[in-house]
Amino acid sequence: MKNYLKLVNFELNRITKLFAVLLGITFVTQIVGVIVVSRDYLNMANEKLYEEMMSKAVFLESFGQMSFLQIVKSVWFVGPIALCIAGVAFYIFIIWYRDWVGKNTFIYRLLMLPTTRLNIFYAKITNILIMTFGLVAFQLIILPIEMLVMKGMVPNEFRTDMSVKEIVNSMPELTIIIPNSVIELILYYGAGLLVVSILFTAILMERSFRWKGIFAGLIYSALAVVVLISPLLLQEFVLNGFFYPIELLVLEIVMGLIVLAASIWMSGFLLMKKITV
Amino acid sequence: MIEVKAVEKKFGRKKILKGVSFTANKGEITCLIGINGVGKTTILNAIMALTPINKGQILIDGKQIDKNTFEKITFIPDAITMLPHMTIAEAMEFMNDFYTCWNQKRATELLGFFRLNPSDRIASLSKGNTAKVNLLLGLALDVDYVLMDEPFSGIDMFSREEIANVFTSHLIENRGVIITTHEIGDIEHLIDKVVLLDDGMVTKEFSAEEVRENEGKSVIDVMREVYQR
Amino acid sequence: MNVNFNNRDPVYLQIVRYFKEKIAVGELMPGEEIPSRRELANRMKVNPNTAQRAYKEMEEQGLIYTEKNHPSKITTDRKTLGKVRDELLVEAVDMFVTSVRSINVPVEELLDLVRVKYTANDDKEA
Repeated sequence: MKNYLKLVNFELNRITKLFAVLLGITFVTQIVGVIVVSRDYLNMANEKLYEEMMSKAVFLESFGQMSFLQIVKSVWFVGPIALCIAGVAFYIFIIWYRDWVGKNTFIYRLLMLPTTRLNIFYAKITNILIMTFGLVAFQLIILPIEMLVMKGMVPNEFRTDMSVKEIVNSMPELTIIIPNSVIELILYYGAGLLVVSILFTAILMERSFRWKGIFAGLIYSALAVVVLISPLLLQEFVLNGFFYPIELLVLEIVMGLIVLAASIWMSGFLLMKKITV
Repeated sequence: MIEVKAVEKKFGRKKILKGVSFTANKGEITCLIGINGVGKTTILNAIMALTPINKGQILIDGKQIDKNTFEKITFIPDAITMLPHMTIAEAMEFMNDFYTCWNQKRATELLGFFRLNPSDRIASLSKGNTAKVNLLLGLALDVDYVLMDEPFSGIDMFSREEIANVFTSHLIENRGVIITTHEIGDIEHLIDKVVLLDDGMVTKEFSAEEVRENEGKSVIDVMREVYQR
Repeated sequence: MNVNFNNRDPVYLQIVRYFKEKIAVGELMPGEEIPSRRELANRMKVNPNTAQRAYKEMEEQGLIYTEKNHPSKITTDRKTLGKVRDELLVEAVDMFVTSVRSINVPVEELLDLVRVKYTANDDKEA
């Protein structure tokens, strides 16, 4: 346990730079987005009100008030989130491959630590999780700041104010990242964890068997997916809706846990018996 | 004692090790000699469970390797195992964090012995100094066995001398050492036992002093006989 | 203690010989302390096991002795010390005779030459 925590801490230190860069890009881009989108709206309002001499009421009626949702739906806002998701996805691979790269092969050290090698796996997966939570938390922290910026720029009568919750709920994509309930959070992030564990297993297969391992990894991933969706397939094509939705959910959770256990067991086996530096 | 028993290893279809067997005792320096590509590094990797073997068995004091073994045996590869942006002090701290057998006193002594500056970054070190840091990190562990892969290759003469001095000092005494090399010149007087490898097999395993005493031959004489047949 | 070891003789015997030479010329005195095994290994740049073996050999030949918890010392036994000198001398003469025999000189002529060369060397060194 102590060694696991030390490894987590060590791995965290290794991504602080990348993490800071992602946070920085997100913050700057979204703030710029808030300013640009707000100013576009204001410029348009100015044009209509003072050049075309439209009345305020008519303007609001035909163009509506500005809401934060316009910002959220812009590339300025979604772009950095996509970048962060891509960054994390990319890092799922880099977090392993970086240890093999170059003349300074850190993997030697990791594998020779006097601790179970599965701790390396746990530490790395924990890191992906922490990184994800960190990015989401950061987004939640800067959202109110961004809203404040908009409030400062757009006068009262031209805007509708929304709460963070309303904003998130009005964008289904966002509810995956920022779920509404604890259960949803556990389900979404559990599913995410599961996917990462399958990917890690596939990566370790590649690291153990190289070319052959890529195929093994693909087969393993496909197999995991089949096992995962098997209750859904059964429900749809064989049992004709035999299960209640809640039963199906429980079945899915059980399948997920089975696949997670299989991935951990397989990764442990590979790290102990098959890995090659 | 480290026992390597009939170890076979394939890379793809090519058999690199074709049944390698030898032993290395505690308190002795055993030298694995062979031309490059003969599989010396692979043997050390296999002992440390850093690469799987296809057949055979490797025992350390009669037991197969597990996580506790890494407090008993250490491996110093020919490349440094720390991250380039770390300073020497940070690398030492890392070792201290994870290994209960880390000996801080000896680590400090080794820093002085090699005249290294702990605040230097690993990426900024010369080849010779990198090799010394690598050696320091391994030798400051209070382990029974130390494996070293080509500790003398590609570094300057003075660094080689300093590293050779380690072998005659208390830093090595009573430990079992396995070192690989393709040139024996630097260490001919320092080693106890020689294991000659050729074509994936052990062609000869002998005590350096006994071959001198009984046959009047130098280690290099024996190598010549074996490799120039 | 810079010794140039040759590669074909056992290192431990070369160490023993080194000590014998030092004893014969009086650089090491009877009863004088000698370095520990570890120190010797370090200074001569040899394997500690080899140094250990050399000391064991010297103990067996009676050249050194070790009292409990004390450093080893050169023997004070006159007879053994005398033998060292004789042994080295005989060995050197043997080597000389072997190499000179192939030239096939009468022994009287050889001895005269040896006398001249040996004393000439003495003068030079003096």
